[in-house]
Amino acid sequence: MIAYDQTGLDALQIRDAAQEWRRQGLLSDEQWLAVQTQHNARFYSPNVFVRIGLAIFTLILLMAALGLGGLIANLNSEGGLAMLCFFFGFVLFLALELWIIGSSRHYGSGVDDMLLYFGTSLLVSGFYVMMPSNSQPLAYACLTFPFLVVGSIRYLDRLMAAAAFGCALTILALLLVETPKLALYVMPFAGMLFAGGVYFFAQQGQRRYAWRHWHGGLAVVELLALVVFYVSGNYWMVQQAGYGWFQLEQPPLAWFFWIFTFAVPVAYIYFGLRRKDRLLLDVGLGCVAVAVFTYRAYFHVMPLAWAAVLGGAVLFATAYFSIRHLRKNRGVYTYDADSDKTLLQEVEQQLIAQHLAQQPTPTPNKNESLGGGQFGGGGADGQF
Amino acid sequence: MRPHILRHLLQQEVLTPDDAARIEQVESARPFSLHWELKTLLYLGVLLLNLGLGYLIYQNIDTVGHAALIALIGAVSAVCFWYAVRHRKPFSTGETESPTPYYDYVLLLGCLLFLVMEGYWQFQYQIFGTRYGLATFIPMVLFFGLAYWLDNRGVLSLGITALASWLGVAVTPQDLLAHNDFNSATIVHTGVFLGAVLTLVPFLSERYHVKKHFSLTYLNFGVHIGMIACLAGMMALDQPLLYFPLLCVAVGFFIWYARTRASLYFLTVAVLYGYIGVTYMLFNFVRDMDFTFYLLYFILSCAGVLVFLINYKRFIKTDAP
Repeated sequence: MIAYDQTGLDALQIRDAAQEWRRQGLLSDEQWLAVQTQHNARFYSPNVFVRIGLAIFTLILLMAALGLGGLIANLNSEGGLAMLCFFFGFVLFLALELWIIGSSRHYGSGVDDMLLYFGTSLLVSGFYVMMPSNSQPLAYACLTFPFLVVGSIRYLDRLMAAAAFGCALTILALLLVETPKLALYVMPFAGMLFAGGVYFFAQQGQRRYAWRHWHGGLAVVELLALVVFYVSGNYWMVQQAGYGWFQLEQPPLAWFFWIFTFAVPVAYIYFGLRRKDRLLLDVGLGCVAVAVFTYRAYFHVMPLAWAAVLGGAVLFATAYFSIRHLRKNRGVYTYDADSDKTLLQEVEQQLIAQHLAQQPTPTPNKNESLGGGQFGGGGADGQF
Repeated sequence: MRPHILRHLLQQEVLTPDDAARIEQVESARPFSLHWELKTLLYLGVLLLNLGLGYLIYQNIDTVGHAALIALIGAVSAVCFWYAVRHRKPFSTGETESPTPYYDYVLLLGCLLFLVMEGYWQFQYQIFGTRYGLATFIPMVLFFGLAYWLDNRGVLSLGITALASWLGVAVTPQDLLAHNDFNSATIVHTGVFLGAVLTLVPFLSERYHVKKHFSLTYLNFGVHIGMIACLAGMMALDQPLLYFPLLCVAVGFFIWYARTRASLYFLTVAVLYGYIGVTYMLFNFVRDMDFTFYLLYFILSCAGVLVFLINYKRFIKTDAP
């Protein structure tokens, strides 16, 4: 079912856990050495920068090869184009399975990722070309979905899993938009129901030992489900959708959606802390920001600048006092850094590094060389 | 997951039952870390305060309140600096740890608000007159001083940016392409010069053992400014014969650096910039060829680069196996 060598994948997980225990001083050096020799994954998984570089060059190579194939085949019909896509996609998957994953043992190297994405796109495009030109969007979405699911299951790919979730959501939305009159009432609740179902599926899946290799993909889906659940009932989203599709100034059940907008972030944060569920907590914090923006979209209580100052001060003070409290009271929660970073935190680290470097400033453009214009940042603070 | 792994290692007799029990106990008692969440809140707080106060100043520029506002900003900035100086660790030429968890963020807020205030003074009272150079020179000196004195890499980045704008270039990585007019030769020359200087500094500081951990910050700015300036010289100034050799030297230097210091970041970056340069030269000098020729070039060259990058372990010198 999984394209990669399963004992290798297991070895990776064991090594990760052992490394963490060793960092905490729970394993001796001899024990760590024993784990390393007994669990050697022998995968080719380069550092993230090399992975990005490999992915870029693989993409250029594949596009050039596809172009060359098109030139040689001298296409002049839709059928020919579809055949080229199928043939090329088939060849790519053969290369991926037998050569890159099989004999070269790549795992998350950039090459295998790009081959998977490019190959899947080709196969799907091949079917798109073959479909009658008056097909509905729903047909395209239904056609794509199985490819994404199979890709994320067989190649353990997190991006594919996210795409599959998005595709399923699209199918749902396209189906419901057709229901006459009721769509506006049904859609928010259908979105919540769908997201809730997916959330519990992902949670249960991550607890299963047999599904341990899909842990990463399921975590991504869980994150997206939490976001979609909140967005489905957010007042701004519901109101905009109602206005866009049915020209309604105010959606039905407005009171319910206003309560939802503010209650759900609080519930996320509360349960995130209670159950020590980092994903829930982090998404909850993000949702608070969305709730504030939603409120400001309808009630202009304060000029933007003052709101930013006040918000900044509140955030800073909250964090300041929380850290002080945590450092004084040792207990269930701590300010000490955890070693295992979640996906969200990795993304965030990148974003912050990017953001510091391009901070917009209100300096007038009167003179270009004024100091206030260029705030630079900690782009270089990460690990290299 | 973890209990399964524990049982597995116990079966293999890597762990003794005592070890396993100890690990199990630590795992179950492990506290929930809020480190990342709180750090993010601190950072967002600083960002919002800076943005909000900055906008407030320029919105209220002709009203009565602006004197009070500028006093407020000055006071907050001063408090931040006072906090930073008061809580500082004793100076060392090596790396020091942040004295408190909020330290870096307070210092950052102080620096950013100082910039807002200084920009306002210049805008309203022209305290530097038309000597714009001075307006960027002062924060530059301040930031470099603070960065070395208080050992802070974030402030060092601010200092490098101030240095660059003092020299007349916008250099934050994203601004680099968007806001610079690379058609002007002076900017390209300054960029090449600045890139070279920023690349040189780490070697001097390693030689004299002063703040060696600042190297990556300098080199990261240096590599992008230098290489983009070279590429701009090739493309916008249309002087490839002058700038392509320069680019080759830079790429060669960073590949050498990557090889000796085992830095995969600089390896990838140098290879990418080098590839862009070589491809541009090919398209510029080998014209009127069949389309197939260019496609074949991409296929073969990319395959070559892939083989090189995939075998990076053989290329890079590491002590570890």
